[in-house]
Amino acid sequence: MNLLIKTMVMITALCLCLFTNAQEYDHEDHATHDMHEHHDHQEADSGQAADAGHGATDGPILTRTQDIDSALAQGGEPIVADVLGVVCDFCALAMNKIFSKREEVAAIYVDLDTKALNLVLVPGASMSDQTIADLAVQAGYRIADVRRGDEALGTAT
Amino acid sequence: MIAVRSALILTLGCIATMAAVGRPVSYVGGWTVIEESDRQSSSALVHYTPAPSLSLGIKTEINRDSDFAIHSAHPTFLAKRWFGADYQGNLYFHGGLGIASGINDNPGSDQMAIYGGVMADWETRSLFVGYRNRYLEAGDYASQFMQAFRTGFAPYVGASGDLHTWLMLEIDHRPSDPDSVTATPLVRFFKGPLLVEAGYNLTVNQPLFNFTYRF
Repeated sequence: MNLLIKTMVMITALCLCLFTNAQEYDHEDHATHDMHEHHDHQEADSGQAADAGHGATDGPILTRTQDIDSALAQGGEPIVADVLGVVCDFCALAMNKIFSKREEVAAIYVDLDTKALNLVLVPGASMSDQTIADLAVQAGYRIADVRRGDEALGTAT
Repeated sequence: MIAVRSALILTLGCIATMAAVGRPVSYVGGWTVIEESDRQSSSALVHYTPAPSLSLGIKTEINRDSDFAIHSAHPTFLAKRWFGADYQGNLYFHGGLGIASGINDNPGSDQMAIYGGVMADWETRSLFVGYRNRYLEAGDYASQFMQAFRTGFAPYVGASGDLHTWLMLEIDHRPSDPDSVTATPLVRFFKGPLLVEAGYNLTVNQPLFNFTYRF
């Protein structure tokens, strides 16, 4: 009986190891899918934060904190990125650690309520959607959509 | 027979190494300190995450029941992460290779220790289910299998930076123990980089204490 349990565990683990070979493809495939399906996710899940809400866009707008407001006052570009999988403070910590290292970033706040990464860039700096997506991967998560400027602030018409 | 089992586990470890692609265990460049103490053993693990799906660590584990210690290299692979706007699921492989030594009054000599297993979890901001198992082969000291299932819920949903609280129940199964199945209710506190868990095993009257710190 004991040997049977061990054997089952090893076989299961081996199968799962082989299963993971398809992981990269799966992530890339779903990342594209998620970018397209973003509006459905956010419509169901956003709008809970006291300082965040919906503007003219379907996704949550920039969550305002003291640092965010200060960076905005300096003239930095606001960015809101919808993040999949951020359900705990370790997730927020990871995003903070990775993005805070970037010299382009003046302020950051990961809002678990809106599931969004809120950034304000240093005035004159830029950060592409692809860079944001790549940095999110380093933190362990995936970006579903990115909004900038008026769209991020909820003032787009 | 032991040689065959060891070879199988080693093979598993090698395959897992080759399959180590994808997502991080922590964030890239992050360090993590994990302490765990349950009804059977206490352990300390320090690991570094060099790549999005891999952490490399050093672990010391003291088996209080059988008076032996294991010092091992401990890789963990994030084999799969399922993403959703409201949930996250993870599948990990963990393993280790090191030396087992007798402690206290145990006169045993140093022997090779090897272990491996699977961990999986699924969580939202208010619900959690998880499973882990491990098979350990430590020469004359131990040949052990364990598995544990855990479920829990958060009585309130905290925002970023708040103190997060979870109430959980862990059921563990250790076939080689006289009390093979035990239950441990526990509370988890989570704030920023620190996670602390405290519980009490109701079956064998042993405390549980875990903490994790990321930096």
